[in-house]
Amino acid sequence: MVTVATPPAPRSFVSSISDRIKQRVHKKRGPMTPPFELAYRQIFVLPTKFGWGFGFMLIFMALGGLNFNNNMALILVFLLATIAQLTTLIAYRNLSGLKVDSIHAEPVFCGEYAHFRVFASNGNERQRFAIQAGFRQAQDCKNFKLNSYDSFLLQRPTYKRGWLEMPSFRLETRFPLGLFKAWSWIFPQTRCLVYPAPARKAPPLPKTGHGHSGPARRGDGDEVHGLRKYQPGDSRQRVAWRASARHDELYSMEMETPREDACELDWDLLRGSEVEKRLSILTAWVIAADHKQLSYSLILPDSAIPVGKGDSHRSRCLEALALYLL
Amino acid sequence: MKSLPTAMLNRLSVLWTVTALVISMLPQLASMPFHLVPITLLPIVWRLMAEFRQWKPIPMILRVLATALAVGALVTTYGGLMGRRAAVSMLVLMLSLKLLETFRIRDARIVVSLSLFLCATQFLFSQGIPMIIYIIACLLSSLISFMYLQRCEAFSVLDEEPESDRKLLTELGFGASLMALALPIGITLFLLFPRWGSPLWGLPEDALDARSGLSDSMTPGSIQNLFMDDSPAFRAKFEGGVPRNSDLYWRGPVFWNFDGSTWEVSYLSRNLLADNKPDPEKAPFRYDVQMEPTEQRWLFALDYPALTPRRTKMTVDYQLIASRPVTRLLSYTMASDPGFQDSPVLRQTLLRAALALPEGFNPRTAAMMADWRKEAGSDSEIIRRALQHFNQQQFHYTLNPPLLSQHTVDEFLFDTKEGFCEHYASAFTVMMRMAGIPARVVTGYQGGFYNPIGSYLLVRQSDAHAWSEVWVRGSGWTRIDPTAAVAPERVQQGAVDSLEQRRYLLDFEWLRNARNTFDLFQRGWNNWVITFGADRQSRLFSIFGWEYLGPAKLVIAMIAILLITGAVIFLVAPMLLKFRSSRKPDPLLRLWGKFIKKLEKAGFVSHPSMGAMELAANAGGQLKYESDAIFRIAELYTLCRYSRDMGNEAELTELINCFEIRSAPGS
Repeated sequence: MVTVATPPAPRSFVSSISDRIKQRVHKKRGPMTPPFELAYRQIFVLPTKFGWGFGFMLIFMALGGLNFNNNMALILVFLLATIAQLTTLIAYRNLSGLKVDSIHAEPVFCGEYAHFRVFASNGNERQRFAIQAGFRQAQDCKNFKLNSYDSFLLQRPTYKRGWLEMPSFRLETRFPLGLFKAWSWIFPQTRCLVYPAPARKAPPLPKTGHGHSGPARRGDGDEVHGLRKYQPGDSRQRVAWRASARHDELYSMEMETPREDACELDWDLLRGSEVEKRLSILTAWVIAADHKQLSYSLILPDSAIPVGKGDSHRSRCLEALALYLL
Repeated sequence: MKSLPTAMLNRLSVLWTVTALVISMLPQLASMPFHLVPITLLPIVWRLMAEFRQWKPIPMILRVLATALAVGALVTTYGGLMGRRAAVSMLVLMLSLKLLETFRIRDARIVVSLSLFLCATQFLFSQGIPMIIYIIACLLSSLISFMYLQRCEAFSVLDEEPESDRKLLTELGFGASLMALALPIGITLFLLFPRWGSPLWGLPEDALDARSGLSDSMTPGSIQNLFMDDSPAFRAKFEGGVPRNSDLYWRGPVFWNFDGSTWEVSYLSRNLLADNKPDPEKAPFRYDVQMEPTEQRWLFALDYPALTPRRTKMTVDYQLIASRPVTRLLSYTMASDPGFQDSPVLRQTLLRAALALPEGFNPRTAAMMADWRKEAGSDSEIIRRALQHFNQQQFHYTLNPPLLSQHTVDEFLFDTKEGFCEHYASAFTVMMRMAGIPARVVTGYQGGFYNPIGSYLLVRQSDAHAWSEVWVRGSGWTRIDPTAAVAPERVQQGAVDSLEQRRYLLDFEWLRNARNTFDLFQRGWNNWVITFGADRQSRLFSIFGWEYLGPAKLVIAMIAILLITGAVIFLVAPMLLKFRSSRKPDPLLRLWGKFIKKLEKAGFVSHPSMGAMELAANAGGQLKYESDAIFRIAELYTLCRYSRDMGNEAELTELINCFEIRSAPGS
């Protein structure tokens, strides 16, 4: 996956204010662990660019109205100004009381986007409209009905392996007129595990097992190992009906997984390459071995993971690779 | 956080943007020259078509070209861009052309904001009661389009906006409740916001819409046209009773110069100031006048005005002339003394002006007056004879007099004998001058409709009148109303009632009465909204005993009242803005919450992920002495929650209400 570095956005006056607010909030509150509710002290309200423009237009209209003593124009201006002021309250209420239940992130390979899911729920106080979430730029937007929950999806490009701390993000709303924005900074403690990017042209899997192959695993598999007495809980499909009919007793088949060649993914096999390159080849091997449903073990200079297979084994290996020397 | 004001508009936002624009344009469209209307509407139609047919935006060059053409049409129509109508038409045209490039949220917001600005400019032309509907429509439509634009912007990060249960009716209701909530604060601001005593920059005096009213010259037929016009000229509220109808001569322009067909004001009388005024203390009539804009400089007062309103002068013939044309509703206080003696001694220059006549006009009248002069012993005898002449000969007071040609007075007196008040006043004055009696024509209004509910006198344009004044040695200028000699009911009953025929098709008495009643609202509106200014503001405060508040105190008072109203609104707003809740809060859940609170008071830490039984297990472990009760409550709650028939809610309520945590014995 190709990643594009985002250039730093030019900072306007308003966003520098909001940055300062953000730092102060962070200093005061520190990280927040869900679940928590957005409350009075965490919600800030400022005019949007459109709000500033609209305000200047109102001032201009008011000057004209005052000068000509045109009272209907003044009434219009005062009504609009009051409505604008009211929308600050509405925007605040739209956000206040929203509950952030949890924030999750699934591991990704380096170069992919890290996906952070922010689960939020709404009580039965009021409906909420057009609540946006994002880091710098809005990335997701949701409505909340009464007693409902939903999740915001926030994305972040990844550049290196290891833990990616989720940056602070904002929940924001400009409801109802777009004149004011109410927002709340959230400093999550969630982090996303970034695996090394798998090497594109990895050498073939090493076939050399070091005799780590043990006895065939019983209990599960494709081949029949033998019969045993039926025990409650045995699958009906495993019942050996013919044998049972002969003995007036239920027998079930005992299965086994045939012994395979376990491959050993060893750090030392890749002598000569630099660390990151070795890690990404090992990553590619883990993926390939998992794909072929082989048993494999991973040996790194500082740790070794014994032979195994399946999702949890894969995750363990990839995690070890991701966090190697970090 | 950045949003995307450059995101494309969705259909609803386009439709509402166009709606808001068109609504705010309506009054201007109605008063534009007719051929500019299609030019204005064309871009709007194009934009709507573009929305439904998915047309592409037209290229920049074409847009510039269209703008240039439109401005060209505007300039040729108005002869320039000066003047309010032309400027506002320009705004309307530009806004409509802006639609050609309105495909993004930012542009749409500019259009809607500027259509609110356009709405404000319309009040330069009219501030009548119907404009309330206009202001509401403008506000509502722009609020709704702002709402749609906001959501269009917010959801532009997604592929499409999710379905929400906000239907048009919700939006309308929301907009209306926003307006309702804003009203009290808006009114407070309106009443308390410091006003300027005098403007920083003036209104352009040109290019106002022509208004009807008395003008600075009088030709036969000029007042007759006013007679069809029922719009109010001014309203007067008297302290004490309203004078008799025959005293209700509202003095306006006074004419001295006659050129054979037209009467004009004289330079002399306009510029000489009155050196002798009635004593305001002794004036029997005191009243407040609320005058509609006339675009002229005359103020109206009963004979003879004793006060001179601000920025007004009183001329030697007792006209009240303002320093600037009256371009908006004007209020002034006036006192009048009908018994005042006007110029017992007349200056030579004025005497000459009051006798001047053009050469070679009206020979028949001149001959008749020469005869009368010979026969009469005194001036008053000639005056009496002239009035008798009008009364006894077959003169008719009519709305449709025949046209007169060169010798207007001759033809009127001897041939047609039909005329309106201006014919009589003109003829009478010419007769007097021919007989050597100084005379002049006075125009103004006579009578008025007394509105008993508002107890004020409404004078309409149709009450316009013309009469004469003659100067009699010793007693000064004396009012003579020749119309009264022909049609006395004109003076006793009013202009409209004195006619036998209807003026136009829908001229019924009940309609006139309905309009007179409605005028009451108009007067209140004028009083409290249109003419509300610095002086009325200070009068408002004098009710509370504060004579004059400077801007600083005014601002303090404003902020104080705003805080109070703001607090009230803060309490009311949640009730009004609450979106209808589709589900009532669950009573069982509330009960359970109460139970958890009680547990937490005893130091138990609950976690939202805990189910009822898990919570009971944890709490029971921690609060050993209550574990039985806790388990019982949790079980009953589970029953109530999951099998409604078996659980007894009343019992649960009872249990939870009585639940109490005893301290462990021995501790």
